[in-house]
Amino acid sequence: MMEEETVEMTEQEILDMEEKETFVWKGYLACIGEDSCIVQSPWYLGEDCVFGADSDYTTLAIAAIQLLQSKGTQINSINSLNDVEALIVFMATGVEVMQTSSDESAQLSAEWDLCIGDDARVLICKNDCDVEILGPAGGLDVDEEFHHEMTSAWEKECKPEHVSQGAYVSQQQYEEGASARLNLMSQEVDGELVWPPRQMDGKGNTMPQASTPLQENATIESWTKLAAAGAPSEFSIRAPLLGGITTVFVSFEQGPRGVFLLVDDEDNDPKIGDQVQFAIRRIYAQEGYIRYGLKCQIIRE
Amino acid sequence: MYILLLGNRRYQVPNTPRRVMVDVAVIGAGQTKYGNHPLGLKAMWAEAATNAFNSVDNNFEANLVDEAFIGSVAFGGGQLGNTAAILTEHSGMKGCSVRRVENACASSGFALRDAMMAIKSGEADIVVAGGIEKMNDLSAERKRYWLGVSGDTEWERLAGLTFPGTYALMARRHFHEYGSNHDDLVNISVKNHMHGFENEFAHIRKEVSFEKAASGFMVADPLTLYDCCPTSDGASCVILAADHVVREFTDDPIWLKGSGAGSDHLALHDRHSITQMSATQKAVAQAYKSSGVLARDIDLAEVHDCFTIAELMATEDLGFANRGEGGLFARQGRGRRNEGDVAINPSGGLKSKGHPLGATGTGQAVEVFKQLKGTVEGPRQIRDAEIGLTHNVGGSGATCAVHIFGRDR
Repeated sequence: MMEEETVEMTEQEILDMEEKETFVWKGYLACIGEDSCIVQSPWYLGEDCVFGADSDYTTLAIAAIQLLQSKGTQINSINSLNDVEALIVFMATGVEVMQTSSDESAQLSAEWDLCIGDDARVLICKNDCDVEILGPAGGLDVDEEFHHEMTSAWEKECKPEHVSQGAYVSQQQYEEGASARLNLMSQEVDGELVWPPRQMDGKGNTMPQASTPLQENATIESWTKLAAAGAPSEFSIRAPLLGGITTVFVSFEQGPRGVFLLVDDEDNDPKIGDQVQFAIRRIYAQEGYIRYGLKCQIIRE
Repeated sequence: MYILLLGNRRYQVPNTPRRVMVDVAVIGAGQTKYGNHPLGLKAMWAEAATNAFNSVDNNFEANLVDEAFIGSVAFGGGQLGNTAAILTEHSGMKGCSVRRVENACASSGFALRDAMMAIKSGEADIVVAGGIEKMNDLSAERKRYWLGVSGDTEWERLAGLTFPGTYALMARRHFHEYGSNHDDLVNISVKNHMHGFENEFAHIRKEVSFEKAASGFMVADPLTLYDCCPTSDGASCVILAADHVVREFTDDPIWLKGSGAGSDHLALHDRHSITQMSATQKAVAQAYKSSGVLARDIDLAEVHDCFTIAELMATEDLGFANRGEGGLFARQGRGRRNEGDVAINPSGGLKSKGHPLGATGTGQAVEVFKQLKGTVEGPRQIRDAEIGLTHNVGGSGATCAVHIFGRDR
């Protein structure tokens, strides 16, 4: 029935409908259908949808799963090719990624599929349903030179031989704090929320497990833009391309405070008092391991 | 004598002699010139130690030292382990009890406190406190790896922050809460460059106009190049003595009248405020109490101005200005040498004199020692200086040591 309608629609009508169905989710463009959704990068190089400065299939997949979860959809596991970091997706969403091969005869063990194409777009759907969903419309042009340099910078940064010589967050240390970094998991003590998690209180008592996610409502209390030359070495390859790094110091409505980078590493002219929301993006890579975390997106009307 | 019973055994135990609190004096202090030092770690330390030994009024020999506390971050990793052993080995102190003290930029401030406590405990009579850092023999890329290693690595660094960034967050918030502004910071920069211009040990001996400092290259918005201290090589050394041996070395000691130290959350976001430093407030309260001195009694203060906003906040935390009025204090020139209420950073501070991380705390003590002894270069001398203060901060305020020195015991 849907196919018949599509055939009868003009190109302009399809575009109009796509636009109507498109919305911004976690800094990406998204459309949602029944038991399915598409999430894609807002950036275009000509006709091609391409990744922004801090995105990849893992961040798109997380955003897509979170979109369905926000609508009350229960997803326990998902089939995927090897293009996403399964551990990160699991820590961020609680959804287990079942790695599959591209062999058509491969058994799909999960109820849901994560489909990845050639461009910066992912589709999530139930594997027993016919997908009836339009792709997101709109998008922004990315500077070609910037895009190529940024892609090349990430390739360099992701190599195993790219190591630290000074300050260092090991993979073990990163994963120990990942639930707080990816989900804002905080500790509840006497009705107050503590984030990032701490080990002991002032009386020497062990703090409880971090199990209460902070609500993602926060306000900028201060901010700075660090010149490229002054950025931590973890950002030394990309900071010159970005013209520096912007960090915001935010206060959550529930009390705790924190510092975050901005989504897409964009400047965005932050101001004290601006409201922000959060999305998971790449932070940096070392020794072939990408550290992901929440970044802020300033809410503008 | 008292009797200790243990089971069916009886022990006669002599009474422990009641310890009489020992007063501590500075009998010598010296440093290298800060900046791009042509020599390596061992030679730099030997130079600072020699200058300290030579500053003692009567003959002093290195082998008299009972204990040595040497502050260093070991920036660059040139000698990460056993730093103190190799440095003292090369400065005539081989064999004495030594250790490296590490508390970021406050390393030697804490080395000084530990040295004082060693004497006060009665276990040592002559103790060396010092510090050293070699920062400018690294490639730019390697130096970048080491900048900011004393911040919160897991949370702040992964949010793109090194120290210019953390202090920039404090500055912008101070502007917002109290109405201070960047011109206030420019005034601090201009003053410290003016103070350091005639300091032969200073890294940057250059006076800077208000206009030039106001239009510097933006390092971490709103902080410009003229708000930031340089990265310096340098070493500093202070010799402390117990009151009962002081007269063997000098008739004119400078007394270490008080000391205080404190700590706070490492990460800014865990603190109750980012426009004041509770570690400084705790440290200075202890120092004022132990010395019986008040803020208004201080003639000169070597304040930790790694960034100009740090000096602005310190003038409030140390009690020289009311809360929120650090900007006004700077604007009115109340920290200028021989003009204001108290001479803030007569050496030029970290901004002009330089900031060789581990050497900075005892380097501040060297300046106060010389000022109180009246041996600095003529134009820099604070008139009638009787009491001086040093304020040494680790990182963005996680640690702080404050000391008060005086001509009178």
